[in-house]
Amino acid sequence: MRRSSRSQPTPAPSAGRTSRGDSEKVEALFAHYADDEADIGPTGVERLCDDLGISTTDIRILLLAWRLKASRMGYFSRDEWRQGLKGLRVDSLDKLKRVLPSLQDEVANPYTFKEFYQFAFRFCLTEPLQKTLDIETATVMLELVLGTHPHLPTFVQFLQEQKEYKAINLDQWTAFLRFCNEVKPDLSNYDESQAWPLLLDNYVEWAKEKQH
Amino acid sequence: MSASKPKKSFKIEPFKHKVEMDPDYANNTWKVLEDAIHEIYNHNASGLSFEELYRSAYNMVLHKYGNKLYEGLTTTMTNQLQKVAGQIDAAQGDTFLEELNLKWLDHNKSLQMIRDILMYMDRTYVTNQNKVPVHELGLNLWRDAIVRNGRIRDRLLKTLLDLVHKERTGEVINRGLMRNVTKMFVDLGQTVYLEDFEKPFLDATADFYKAEAQQFISTSDCTDYLRKAEKRLNEEIERVAHYLDQKTESKLTTVVEREMIGNHMKLLVEMENSGLVSMLTNDKYEDLARMYNLFRRVPTGLQTVRDLMTSHLRETGKQLVTDPERQRDPVEFVQRLLDEKDKYDRLIAQSFGNDKTFQNALNSSFEFFINLNTRSPEFISLFVDDKLKKGLKGVSEEDVEGVLDKVMMLFRYLQEKDVFEKYYKQHLAKRLLSGRTVSDDAERSLIVKLKTECGYQFTSKLEGMFTDMKTSKDTMAAFQQKMVEEGNDSDISLQVQVLTTGSWPTQPGAKATLPPEILEQCDKFKNFYLSTHTGRRLSWQTNMGTADLRATFAHSRHELNVSTYQMCILLLFNNADALSYQEIQAATEIPVADLKRNLQSLACVKGRNVLRKEPVGKDVDEDDVFHFNDKFTNKLHKIKIGTVSAQKESEPEKQETRQKVEEDRKPQIEAAIVRIMKSRRLLDHNNIISEVTKQLQSRFLPNPAVIKKRIESLIEREFLERDKNDRRLYRYLA
Repeated sequence: MRRSSRSQPTPAPSAGRTSRGDSEKVEALFAHYADDEADIGPTGVERLCDDLGISTTDIRILLLAWRLKASRMGYFSRDEWRQGLKGLRVDSLDKLKRVLPSLQDEVANPYTFKEFYQFAFRFCLTEPLQKTLDIETATVMLELVLGTHPHLPTFVQFLQEQKEYKAINLDQWTAFLRFCNEVKPDLSNYDESQAWPLLLDNYVEWAKEKQH
Repeated sequence: MSASKPKKSFKIEPFKHKVEMDPDYANNTWKVLEDAIHEIYNHNASGLSFEELYRSAYNMVLHKYGNKLYEGLTTTMTNQLQKVAGQIDAAQGDTFLEELNLKWLDHNKSLQMIRDILMYMDRTYVTNQNKVPVHELGLNLWRDAIVRNGRIRDRLLKTLLDLVHKERTGEVINRGLMRNVTKMFVDLGQTVYLEDFEKPFLDATADFYKAEAQQFISTSDCTDYLRKAEKRLNEEIERVAHYLDQKTESKLTTVVEREMIGNHMKLLVEMENSGLVSMLTNDKYEDLARMYNLFRRVPTGLQTVRDLMTSHLRETGKQLVTDPERQRDPVEFVQRLLDEKDKYDRLIAQSFGNDKTFQNALNSSFEFFINLNTRSPEFISLFVDDKLKKGLKGVSEEDVEGVLDKVMMLFRYLQEKDVFEKYYKQHLAKRLLSGRTVSDDAERSLIVKLKTECGYQFTSKLEGMFTDMKTSKDTMAAFQQKMVEEGNDSDISLQVQVLTTGSWPTQPGAKATLPPEILEQCDKFKNFYLSTHTGRRLSWQTNMGTADLRATFAHSRHELNVSTYQMCILLLFNNADALSYQEIQAATEIPVADLKRNLQSLACVKGRNVLRKEPVGKDVDEDDVFHFNDKFTNKLHKIKIGTVSAQKESEPEKQETRQKVEEDRKPQIEAAIVRIMKSRRLLDHNNIISEVTKQLQSRFLPNPAVIKKRIESLIEREFLERDKNDRRLYRYLA
């Protein structure tokens, strides 16, 4: 990240030197998008996306939310904004724009990606005590996060066709990432005795039937 | 003696006296002895003086001519035996063996005498010089000169094998002669017997029986073949007793068994129309016993029989339990299973000597196919129901026990014992409430058996039902007394059974509007009961009761025994002669399915048709109109009107029960998982599955996928979590 910053014509402030001016700028940026004192709300996020030149359903805004440790979908609290931007060493829209690609680089690391993937699940839980995502949200989210993984289209199709499950829990969500990483696209190395959630057993059974 | 003193030793020289010796002494003496040996072989020993010869030999050894004596003996005997060999060889045809035997006996006799003469040499010279003793020397020389003589060896063997072959093909041979000759081989030493006779003999035997087995198998059926094999085996054992060494027996039988049985096992048991399957179907106890005894002798023989029996049992069992025809009559279905079991029990006892491994195969086969039909638990319960309702009338107590024990045996094979419990509860409830159980003792006896088999938990609700029945009896007595005391006598006599919720299979929502005169009585009871038992709630299970009605028809009066629902319907006709289906339904509010069934039994069964239906037909339709059948007649005064109902459950009812069972299992599986995880803390997937299965198998066989689902549900509810690194591990959270 630092290297990419250095290559810019205007060098970013180096580490450890966060001046008063920077945090004022961050506050100003917050105020610019904030709906009220406490949060940047959905409309603010929408404006932010417009200014960043990305859609609200772009993975990059999700990455930003993850980096800012946002707890609520469609919202950035003042604290999240302040801490998060400070961590990214960003105090202007331009810098924010420039930092986005580096976030994508960051999740190229499988370990970080796993963190981000699990964040995506929790991020969608909007109600207190909610523990599962309905199938529709889950599929949208999977497509957003996993993009073009070969397993994804058939799995989404399966989720839509099956009737047994109405929602996906964290265990199943997490298991699917592992599934994507470990199981070959033709499912030939799927081992049922490996304690996969039943949902995936069913998926594989369904998919194998379809192959024939 | 003190060691310090130098010892003075004396040596005593033996007194020497010079013996004058004739230089030709040795040669002369040996000549005498050699002549004697020749004489002995020529049967002229009577003229010899034993004492003189003995002294001569003694002196030769004493004068250190032992070597000369020994060498001379060897040479002389060798020459003598070579002569004998020539004589034996010259014998023609059959006399060959006799000649050999004769010469052998001669040689033995001669050898005995020679050994006696040379006794001194045997004791001193032979032992000191480590030479072979005279007797053994004689046998060795015989062996080399005769038995292993190039001209005799093969001829002898061929003669012997020919004789055995002749005997095997039915000719009579001189067994005494055979015995002597084989005895000769044994006398010459085990190795001679083994190498020069036994081994070729066994090879010839193998060839013989290989050919014979081939021939038999293409011409005989399995039964005949086994009979022949058994006969052959006995013949060979007899042969050993007659003229072979005892040690040969096991080797010989092994060869015969291998050639006759071992190499043809599969072909034999699978023989069409006469193999194992045919014997099993036709109860051929004797043939089966023969097969068992013969096959037991060869490696994997019994396994072959057992495997085929198992697959046959499974196949026929599968046909039996999946045949749709059979499923029409559950009692017959179970009876057939019991018959089959009896048959095989008897068979294993009579033919297979109660072999444990066969019993196990039988049990595992039954377990296999009984559970192929998901209705087996229901059918077994129905079978018991039938027996306890009527089947056991007039049957002795012992026989009752016998039947119940057999039922328990089938019960043990069930994997889904909880399903059986569900049905048993339903059927027992019906029996108890309709008072149709024949023997209270038998009922209780079965409960005790179930309890011993599955534990207290399994039967606690069933026992609760019996307790309710007894308590109700007391309650009713008190109620009736109170009614009399209060002068509240009614011509309706109400019998109430108070059932504990949970113990009985109740159907929620099965309600009907009772006729007002009945309702009045019911309320009285309710008040009475609640006055003594505060805090309880009574609800009327109108679907489970019965009623006795007096009915007056044009030609006769009858007492009708009907269900509560039927009573509700019939009482409506006290005030009307004809009612439409819709009117009846509105007035009684009996659930549709029950109403139709009850109307059907009142109007459509010949001899029980106290109502008349328009239009006439077998089934009840919603547009039908019902009339009171004034012309009803029946020879009997008391008439029981049953309810037309499938004895076994209909398809939707079955689904419903199934679902209830599945629901009941969920908490049991979860409880088992939690119990296991609580004590183990960390456990991998496959172990959980197997432990849960083990814990629950006395009640049912949980499906691994269902267990998995319960685990996932527990993970979701945060009782468990997956290990972060090894996803097959679960961790208990608490």
